[in-house]
Amino acid sequence: MPDLLITNNIRTLRFFAGEMTQLELAERIGASRQTILNIEAGKYTPSLELAFRIADAFGVPIGEVFEHRTSPAAPSSS
Amino acid sequence: MSTKSKSIVTSTVAGIVFVAAYAFYVTRPENTPQTLQWWAVTMLIFLGIAIIVLIVVQIVFHMVLAAGIAVSEGGDDSRIKRILASTMAEDEMDRHIELRSARAGYICAGIGFVAVLATLALGASAVVALHVLFGSFFVGSVVSGVVSVYGYERGLRHA
Repeated sequence: MPDLLITNNIRTLRFFAGEMTQLELAERIGASRQTILNIEAGKYTPSLELAFRIADAFGVPIGEVFEHRTSPAAPSSS
Repeated sequence: MSTKSKSIVTSTVAGIVFVAAYAFYVTRPENTPQTLQWWAVTMLIFLGIAIIVLIVVQIVFHMVLAAGIAVSEGGDDSRIKRILASTMAEDEMDRHIELRSARAGYICAGIGFVAVLATLALGASAVVALHVLFGSFFVGSVVSGVVSVYGYERGLRHA
């Protein structure tokens, strides 16, 4: 199965939301600042519920916050 | 390194220091050999002190953290409280990391239990078996901390 790469536009959306801070976003969606930092850096894939909360915080569809693309699976070594 | 990672590292280091103190105490010439009851009482006392020390370490850690935020953010109390609350808030990522770290800890404890049985089967004393069990819980705690820090620093993906 090909790998699924999930990217996000949170940094851009924060900028267009009046340079909303990570702290403000974290408070709006009920998460910690560390989690926002990790999601933004692509280190953590949030649950669907948290993803929807983030989209709601910016007032945009979830597809504008998160994007995905597939990459071919790495060849098996066996 | 994130604040939560620092908190875990602080607790883990305190735990390591405490186990080292225990090892230093019990290996003194006047303390060996002793009865099983003496070992049990000694471990209970050290565990009790360890719990108190870990609580104090966490309180001091949070005081230092608050002071650090106050220095970097200025004297705005409400903002400092907001940052502290958001920094230490527990959410789905914490629960996810906690699940993984707890699983690693349980695996170590499980291996330790098998090691205890093997130790007894090989004819070792109950005191040795007790220490193998104690050691496995300690290793499990350290491994659990390492897995948590790895999760916070390297991130997690639903796989």
